[in-house]
Amino acid sequence: MDPRKELALSLTRRHFFGLSSTGIGVAALSTLQAKGLSGLPHHPPTAKRVIYLHQSGGPSQLDLFDYKPQLQKRQGTELPDTVRMGQRITGMTSGQSSLPVASSVFKFAQQGKSGAWVSELIPHTAKVVDDLTIIRSMNTDAINHDPAITFIQSGSQQPGRPSMGSWVSYGLGSDNENLPAFVVLISQANALNVDQPLFSRLWGNGFLPSSHQGVRFRGGAEPVLYLEDPPGITRDTRRQMLDVIGKINKLRADSYHDPEIETRISQYEMAYRMQTSVPDLMDISKEPESTFELYGPDARKPGTYAANCLLARRLAERGVRFVQLYHRGWDQHNDLPRDLALQCKGTDQASAALVADLKQRGLLDDTLIVWGGEFGRTVYCQGKLTDTNYGRDHHPRNFAMWLAGGGMKRGFVLGETDDYSYNITSDPVHVHDLQATILHCLGVDHKRLTFKFQGRHFRLTDVHGELVKKILA
Amino acid sequence: MFPSRFWIPAGLSALALVYGQATKPSKVVFDRQIRPLLSDACFSCHGPDEKNRMAGLRFDDKDSAMKVIVPGKRSDSKLFQRIQHADAARRMPPKGASRTLSPEQIELVGKWIDQGADWQTHWSYAPPKRPDLPTVSNPKWARNPIDHFVLARLDKEGLKPSPEADKATLIRRVSLDLTGLPPTPAEVQAFVADKAPDAYEKLVARLLESPHYGERMAMQWLDLSRYADTHGYHIDSHRDMWPWRDWVIQSFNNNMPFDRFTVEQIAGDLLPNATRAQKLATGFNRNHMINYEGGAIADEYLTEYIMDRVETTSVVWMGMTMGCARCHDHKYDPISQRDFYRFFAFFHNVDEKGLDGREGNAKPMLPLPDALQESRLKELDTAIKAREAQMPQKEVDAAVETWASTASPSDGPHGAVAHYELDGSLSDLSGAYHHARITNGNPLFSASPAGQSLGFDGEAEVEWGRFGHFDRGDAFSIAMWVRSNNRLAQTLIEKSGIALRLEAADSIGDLKRGALLRVQLGDGLEVRTKPHVVMSTWNHVVVTYDGAGIRVYLDGRLAGTEVLKNQPASFKSDAPWKSSKLRSNIDDLRIYARAVTAEEAFQLAVDAPVRAMAAIPAAKRSKEQKDKLRDYYLTYAAPETQRKAYAELRQLLKDRTKLEKEIVTTMVMDELPKMRDTFVLARGDYRNRTEKVTPAVPANLPPLPAGAPPNRLGLAKWLVDPSHPLTSRVAVNRFWQIYFGTGIVDTSEDFGSQGAPPSHPELLDWLATEFIRGGWDVKAMQRLIVTSATYRQSSKATPELVERDPQNKLLARMSRFRMPAEMVRDNALATSGLLNPEVGGRSVYPYQPAGLWEEMAYGDVFSAQTYTPSTGKDLYRRSMYTFWKRTVPPAQMSTFDAPDREKCVARRARTNTPLQALVLMNDPTYIEAARKLAEKVIQADKRPAERIRLAFQVASARVPSASEVKLLAMLADQQKAAFAKQPENAKKLVRVGESKSAVRDDIELAAWTTVASAILNLDEVISKE
Repeated sequence: MDPRKELALSLTRRHFFGLSSTGIGVAALSTLQAKGLSGLPHHPPTAKRVIYLHQSGGPSQLDLFDYKPQLQKRQGTELPDTVRMGQRITGMTSGQSSLPVASSVFKFAQQGKSGAWVSELIPHTAKVVDDLTIIRSMNTDAINHDPAITFIQSGSQQPGRPSMGSWVSYGLGSDNENLPAFVVLISQANALNVDQPLFSRLWGNGFLPSSHQGVRFRGGAEPVLYLEDPPGITRDTRRQMLDVIGKINKLRADSYHDPEIETRISQYEMAYRMQTSVPDLMDISKEPESTFELYGPDARKPGTYAANCLLARRLAERGVRFVQLYHRGWDQHNDLPRDLALQCKGTDQASAALVADLKQRGLLDDTLIVWGGEFGRTVYCQGKLTDTNYGRDHHPRNFAMWLAGGGMKRGFVLGETDDYSYNITSDPVHVHDLQATILHCLGVDHKRLTFKFQGRHFRLTDVHGELVKKILA
Repeated sequence: MFPSRFWIPAGLSALALVYGQATKPSKVVFDRQIRPLLSDACFSCHGPDEKNRMAGLRFDDKDSAMKVIVPGKRSDSKLFQRIQHADAARRMPPKGASRTLSPEQIELVGKWIDQGADWQTHWSYAPPKRPDLPTVSNPKWARNPIDHFVLARLDKEGLKPSPEADKATLIRRVSLDLTGLPPTPAEVQAFVADKAPDAYEKLVARLLESPHYGERMAMQWLDLSRYADTHGYHIDSHRDMWPWRDWVIQSFNNNMPFDRFTVEQIAGDLLPNATRAQKLATGFNRNHMINYEGGAIADEYLTEYIMDRVETTSVVWMGMTMGCARCHDHKYDPISQRDFYRFFAFFHNVDEKGLDGREGNAKPMLPLPDALQESRLKELDTAIKAREAQMPQKEVDAAVETWASTASPSDGPHGAVAHYELDGSLSDLSGAYHHARITNGNPLFSASPAGQSLGFDGEAEVEWGRFGHFDRGDAFSIAMWVRSNNRLAQTLIEKSGIALRLEAADSIGDLKRGALLRVQLGDGLEVRTKPHVVMSTWNHVVVTYDGAGIRVYLDGRLAGTEVLKNQPASFKSDAPWKSSKLRSNIDDLRIYARAVTAEEAFQLAVDAPVRAMAAIPAAKRSKEQKDKLRDYYLTYAAPETQRKAYAELRQLLKDRTKLEKEIVTTMVMDELPKMRDTFVLARGDYRNRTEKVTPAVPANLPPLPAGAPPNRLGLAKWLVDPSHPLTSRVAVNRFWQIYFGTGIVDTSEDFGSQGAPPSHPELLDWLATEFIRGGWDVKAMQRLIVTSATYRQSSKATPELVERDPQNKLLARMSRFRMPAEMVRDNALATSGLLNPEVGGRSVYPYQPAGLWEEMAYGDVFSAQTYTPSTGKDLYRRSMYTFWKRTVPPAQMSTFDAPDREKCVARRARTNTPLQALVLMNDPTYIEAARKLAEKVIQADKRPAERIRLAFQVASARVPSASEVKLLAMLADQQKAAFAKQPENAKKLVRVGESKSAVRDDIELAAWTTVASAILNLDEVISKE
């Protein structure tokens, strides 16, 4: 190949991809993108795709995975300064005259062969615990939702960077020609006190071409925006319109030789195919009864967490690279016993079902599932502490997540925290470490997946991130 | 000055230039070929960043670099030895570094050294010098100096410019470029028919005077200035910055010189005798996001706002990525961390808060009353002053004291069956001994306006007692104070079938929540109030039952109710009265065995608390109690003239508050009287203050002009000083980008050593100097570009040219590309005739799929959480007026690469995706536009071919070919037949969109709607050719 042409091609793929129109044509879901960047994956992947179950708001590690029986004795006592060590706390509790310890009201038991401690709130998760790697030593830099969720999704507390899914779409492209590489699913809170917004930047492309934006699939009649033909336009009419559009575009391409026109023709065909492939994906009417037994009856209701978990499986089956779920409502500043129980009731069965379902279909081996929020919650009570009720503020210094499949150890627990679940005592995993590890499972060296913007080679993990080798199978 | 630049081959980027160069025996140019390579591969350890510099060696500095370079001898140069070292352990860049050098690059460095290792400073740091016009092969082709530079380059490449575009293409191109709107068919015809030699120049002059010119230019400026209608971050409620947007549009329309445009936006407030418009202009630096997430730390966000101003200002005016020096010295460009924080100090002196914006704009704000409002304000103030004079503070205070010690407002009607004052005890003061008791939890007494109240936390339960076993027909009343502390539904008091409940609270405006009160008497009777019981404040509630109907008094006034149930049914029971599981404070609970009168309800709500306050010795009264007493006295007890004046005063104050709320404000910069301290922040963290610094410009750039103050005004003047090497280059480059799709410097946000080198360096410098020479005349610069022969070329390419120059950097043709998001929609609206061409004003809410905001928004009491589409002509305003919510930007615009406006964006990506096809095929905006276009052609002509010609011309400005007409005619026939078979489909299609149909025949209209829709979906229609 002519070196210049080769160069132009590689530049097109790397640097110019979508920054401007190019001779090759820039396409979201075209063949170019489907292949991803040349040279990737950097090493053989253990996961072909990721399903990230983001629990927005910050689930309480103290009431789910980080069992601290000794706290019962300390109930109501002041959090010792030796534990807090002057760490900053949010504006919501910094004015509180007292920071009393609130032990969990929930019972814990050891589960599975691995014997991991799991709270009674998540009995279904308890059943699949031998398929999980639980990390009890996650930590983050941010202390409030906006920066924390932006951080865990994009590697930076401040807006402006590409999200994890769009990095993956950019680097690895799509495995399915008829669906986007990066799909986003949102479900609403089960808790009664709700104040968790989401932001499109969480699945935004930042400075990457906007074709790597996550595409939201919504519950209901029109899962992808503008997917449905307008009222009165039949499939036949649509086909006939497309034929004419394509032919006239072709005439233009022949006289202008602008490759963008050819790309546009193929994108219209892709759009037409999506109009069939997406409804087919969303149509769960042919799922057997056993599916709904597994995921729970909510899975029949579009837009619920359970329905989204089922969709995530269907997307994984179709090779979608990155499926990002968001479930709102984990911000238990008050009424934690009531609201956390509601959240768990709304999600536990489906989360566990997804693990079990992928496993029975042989998909868990090359699908990485990630479960967790943007930070944890404090051992001290926010607001009034009673025997049966308490709230917990944001806690960035340690929190719990779990991962399953795609290269993870099974039935493994990493990390320890102190008696107050306030500081990590062993194996800390920083958000950038988690991101590096997720990319690693996909065959991507987080230090080498970069994009030059404003003169700098940016990456998901900024200038940090260590691979968490201990959790890799 | 740059004679050697011209023979640079068909470069695509720095790398391409370098690559292409390696095989040529010609002279290597350091600034274009070597520095970018050293910058990318070496600067991060051997560059400007002092702390991370290895071996004390830096390749951004000639003296340092020459320590390892022997000019003329590559083999003696340590630099060369190390980059091609056989031992991988000694080779540079070291193993594990993120960048490597290719063999071709190494060879290029070697050749450069052999040729003498010439060194120049980075091109963009030297002020532009006006180059002479190069000689060209065909001077006749050149219409202005731009063309000399472009043609000279083409001559070197052995390429020829393309012929001029046909007139239809030209008028569409230049209309879209200068106004963002397509020409009308009449305009096209007139231009095509105008055979005058200056027909095109006249057209350009007309377009530059169009009010839409300012809109077009503002489109780019809004991206740069991260303009949005919401605050961003967490809650993302609304703000009003559209007056600033109007200022931008008007400034472009008035052709404000770019230097003034700069100074007013950066420091208009600091100009002597600053006008309102000059203050308004400073909104540029308030367009950043503002946060008030609960629990967020003010210092952290205040720091971010200033960071944003530094990053935005440096990118917009200097094409400099100063943000890189936030945490450490810049890795590539000569900006130290200290430079960064000295620049930061310019913007760190605004009277603002770290957490703000709950109620719209965050301070400092500029109120923008119109003339009418201004005179009304004056009137009100005069009237208020006059009333206040009638009640001097001291006099009234003394009168209140006298009155308080003698008068005794009623303490409410007597004869309660039970009365709980709740001032620290649960005793019944009625004399009937129905003392209450706690049956669960731990309710707490706490201070209330009249003593104490009882607080319930959701668990506590109080049993008031067994009494008052009322039944249907028995009159009774319940009175109490309540302050609800929770959004969820709750029961205030109940007794078997009798219950007073608050429903779940909703937003009721003014950032307040309120709940409706529901009263239930057994299964038969149930009412709900129309007004709300306001959350988090004290409300007085009286519920009376006269044996037949229920009345509710809120704060002493009869409240409207809705009867939900009214059937005869007994509700007698001997169960006790209880309050449980509520989250409210309650006070002064009284139960009467009769229906209290309206007058009595008023006494309970208004008189009784005042009586309690009056009993408190003056010295011990709180401010709130004092105010209440004063208010009561002036309302009910003062001499009549004073009472009247007071009533008027209250009304006037109310009117003033209302007027203030109506007056539009906009956020501006406003300097604090005393300069805030600024520190270098280690690792960019607001908590790590180190060295204290004062405002200054980066050391590597020229100093502030003599006499310029070290504040924003001085900074602004410095930016537009003709000696500044960057400002004018960066500005003209971005103008160029509008027309050609990419700038002369591709990376319009980065003119530093990591940025792309200019494709036509001399042209850039000529334009930059011309811009300054012409007095920063923005319109003149646009005119210059669009009247060049370069611009007027056809955008038709050949396969060979596309292969040779896919990016069209050489400009042997005009660039052809898909329009920006706003224009895609505006073009459809204009084509269909739906466009509302009004300029300026508030943002609007066009069609958007339902639920997009609601599914993600914080919700609750804040603004901009739910999307209500506009109606009527606001649906069809230009897209730049679409309400821009940062966390959920307009869906159709993001699909076409519009940024989310969280950060400054100097150039947009341009993608080509199936999601774009879906928008154009299915978004009601485009279906409605297609229908209106169809109506237009149906009404214009009966002949299908003519209709097609007309529609095609309206949409693309050109006459379709016979084969195009044939294809579309076939579609028309097909669809007419299909809709005739299924007329219900036709009916559905023609009803999309709010506008009425002018054509009655649904089948005809539907068929032609599909034809028009097909036309609006053509690549050509959404492209600028």
